[in-house]
Amino acid sequence: MKNKSIILFSVTIAMLAWNSCKKDEKTVAPPDPENEVITTVKLVATNAADTTDVVTAQWKDLTPNDGNPDLTLAAMTLKKNATYNVAVTFLDETKSPVEDITEEVQERSNFHLVCYTPAASLNVAVQRTDLDNSTPQMPLGLKTRFTTGGASAGALQVALHHQPSGKNGTDCSIGSTDVDVNFAVTLQ
Amino acid sequence: MVRFFSATVLLVLFCLHAVVVRAQDCVYRISGTVTDNQRHPLLGAVVRIETDSTKGDVTDTSGKFTILNACQGHLMLTCKADGFSTAVAHIHIDGNNSVQFVLSADKNQLHEVVVNGVRMQDLHTVSHTELKGLALLQSRGKSLGEALKMLPGLNTIQTGPTIAKPVIHGLHSNRVLLLNNGVRQEGQQWGSEHAPEIDPFVANRINVVKGAASVRYGADAIGGVVLLDPDPLPINKGISGDAYLIGQSNGRMGTASMSLQGKLSEKLAGVAWRLQGTVKRAGNFSTPNYFLKNTGISEQDFSASVGYKRNGWEVAGYYSMFNTKNGIFEGAHAGNITDLYAAFSRTRPITQSVFSYNIGRSYQRVYHDLAKATAIYRFANEGKLELNIARQKDLREEFDISLPFTKDPELLKKPQVSFQLKTHSAELVYTQPSLNGFSGNVGVAGNTQGNVFRGIRYLIPNFRTYSGGAFAIERYTYKRLTIEAGARYDYRWQQVYQRNQSTLATYHTTLEFSNITATGGAIYRLSDQLTFTGNVGTAWRAPSVNELYIHGVHFSDASYQDGDSTLGAERSLNTSVTMSYQSTKLRATIDVYNNIIGNYIYETPQARPVTLLSGTFPAFKFTQDNVAIRGVDASVQYDFLSHFTLQSRATIVRGYNHTAKDWLIYMPADRYENGLVFNLHEFGFMEEPYLSVENVSVLRQDRVPPGIDYAPPPAGYSIFNASTGFTTHIRKHKTQLDFTVSNFTNAAYREYLDRFRYYADNIGINFIVKTKISF
Repeated sequence: MKNKSIILFSVTIAMLAWNSCKKDEKTVAPPDPENEVITTVKLVATNAADTTDVVTAQWKDLTPNDGNPDLTLAAMTLKKNATYNVAVTFLDETKSPVEDITEEVQERSNFHLVCYTPAASLNVAVQRTDLDNSTPQMPLGLKTRFTTGGASAGALQVALHHQPSGKNGTDCSIGSTDVDVNFAVTLQ
Repeated sequence: MVRFFSATVLLVLFCLHAVVVRAQDCVYRISGTVTDNQRHPLLGAVVRIETDSTKGDVTDTSGKFTILNACQGHLMLTCKADGFSTAVAHIHIDGNNSVQFVLSADKNQLHEVVVNGVRMQDLHTVSHTELKGLALLQSRGKSLGEALKMLPGLNTIQTGPTIAKPVIHGLHSNRVLLLNNGVRQEGQQWGSEHAPEIDPFVANRINVVKGAASVRYGADAIGGVVLLDPDPLPINKGISGDAYLIGQSNGRMGTASMSLQGKLSEKLAGVAWRLQGTVKRAGNFSTPNYFLKNTGISEQDFSASVGYKRNGWEVAGYYSMFNTKNGIFEGAHAGNITDLYAAFSRTRPITQSVFSYNIGRSYQRVYHDLAKATAIYRFANEGKLELNIARQKDLREEFDISLPFTKDPELLKKPQVSFQLKTHSAELVYTQPSLNGFSGNVGVAGNTQGNVFRGIRYLIPNFRTYSGGAFAIERYTYKRLTIEAGARYDYRWQQVYQRNQSTLATYHTTLEFSNITATGGAIYRLSDQLTFTGNVGTAWRAPSVNELYIHGVHFSDASYQDGDSTLGAERSLNTSVTMSYQSTKLRATIDVYNNIIGNYIYETPQARPVTLLSGTFPAFKFTQDNVAIRGVDASVQYDFLSHFTLQSRATIVRGYNHTAKDWLIYMPADRYENGLVFNLHEFGFMEEPYLSVENVSVLRQDRVPPGIDYAPPPAGYSIFNASTGFTTHIRKHKTQLDFTVSNFTNAAYREYLDRFRYYADNIGINFIVKTKISF
């Protein structure tokens, strides 16, 4: 008899314990509206000799987690033997209005470095023209000058490196990579 | 519905058992030696169980005695010899025990009793091992994973010097169960960089069950179970306690832990309590050649228990809290595969570092608390009914090295991912009294858990799980043979809540699993020294949510992981044989096992890498295959000369994927430990002083599947450790001191099972001082 009452008691306690918990898990947290995700890398190249000659290209992936980027506009054609001033912008196009993340990179410029690596076949030299706020100041790479050579074509890799320590303004292998995309560039 | 089902099963099993139970029977053996304080054996000393005067023995010429058929429970043992003070030992019998009495000729001096119980776990025939004595003291201050590495058959999987998880017979993470004071620890054990959320100082007894233990402990116990138990609450009045102070040179780590316990009297007689707390702080650890930047630890833990005993009743409450912040080595961050290869090609991390206690991004913050209530009723016939109800909360937050891109300053303070798991569990176990050689237990267990994931990037979904199980284990002992059999039924219901990426609508998926597990084994005592144990057991594990639904970049190893929602449960069949030889000069144990796991879940590389905006990532998908893990653990201690002991341990594991016809990745490399110990009984003011030198040799792991790992396995290594210490009494307070130098040749090496082997060496020379004061 005593055993039975113990069991009854324990089952009751167990059920109380079970039912006392809230079901928080049914509310799946939505993506934080304040968090910005880079969806788009945009290059705007302005011919130094003719400021009306502006070429743009963009590498875009509105669902940045699934590996299906939209590469239809990730190509640009520049004039051979010319000089272009190029600005890179990082956008979050899932937001309305579109968020410009370049501002945040600029704010934390001491810990970022944008690197440009043309393929061997592509006859272009890239030089960073802007500086960060460290002492002494070091290159940042949001603004660059492209000096094009003879007619050629190939990939141009654009990478944004986060370098919380060890930034020296030249070494792109330091830190971790936030952006790493390729543009198809043709010089003609 | 599940709950009612479990309750019904319990009632049926309970009634069946109640019929069998009539009177008490006693099956345990107490053996040991009696010596004087010069360690000379005493002939003719009388050892007797005071509570049962019919049982006793007289020592032979080598000072040995054996008492057979001792009953389970508390008993008082006395040892009398002419011309010596009488020794009394209070021991708790739940297995075979060995007791060493050291008698003093001087009536005013205290005698000494050392009780070495072979504490039986609920499954007697599954091989088990315990961290105790000097090894337990020497493990203090280490994380649980590191401490258990001192046992044969155990390895660790590490993420640098601060994160270590136990590996039992080649298996780890959610294939190893942890029991904190009898309660299944429920945390985020699926990640190899998610260390156990537990402070080893809460326990004075650390046991490891190596093998399939699902019948007793439920799902997931495929590799084994680690049981952490505090000492029983005090039975004597007055306040007592222990204090540990540990300092180590590497990482300039300091650990302090204290426990205080007492028993109340008069009106509150029967009430006993204990308070325990630990603080730990470490800064950057160092390898032989450089510091590891951002590898600090800051940990604060606390536990409290209170118990009340009266007549057959015993009720107790227990609370423990674990709180840690761990830095993640800065050189180990990779945004994509290019970064990873750049890091591999460096012989040393790119950022120079110095010593600092500062913990910056990235770091993990982990909080775990457990509240438990226990009620035990002991029947007049020695049977026992025990109810445990527990609630635990695990909160894990990970802060990436990069701050999120945002214009909201609040978001910058938030973790990139956080997991909160709340578990409510209950277990009711009836332990039958030993009768005519029969003993065993039956029980039911159930739990429910809710997982809430929050993060600014998706990793795993939310879920709610209900699970319940019922088990029965029965043993029969006849003379030198014990046979054991058990079975269990488990049911698990899980609902997973996700959000559609494009429509943002919440949807759910329901998964059900049920499984029957069984175990059977035998122990045969060929002689007083030689025992053979064999067991065949099954275990199972339902796929965890990350294996089912993870989708995205796993930053710690720069891989893109994809879950498979069609995965089924893993099932294992484990056969093990243990041979144990225990004589006064030679103590040896050899475990041989073969663990066949069907539907073993692991990550397999995909042919096409994934192109994301942040670069190219190798893609992995969870899949399941049939595998086998077999191996040998051996440990030998040989007193080849008086005062000298040779000790050796070997841990050998082989894992093979029979479906893919290839080796399994991340299996521990062969490890051999050999040491020489010199000890004395007394030297001046020092009691039991010792001096030991040990070599740990690990071979290169050559049995790996080709082309999967980012870097080939590191070379084998050999490191040396030395330690010395003694016990003394400072104002009657027993004080133990230990001084250890680990890796005293300051060898630079990398360990295959350390995830940071890609980026940096293991830690170098380390001087460690440990003090334990009992008061």
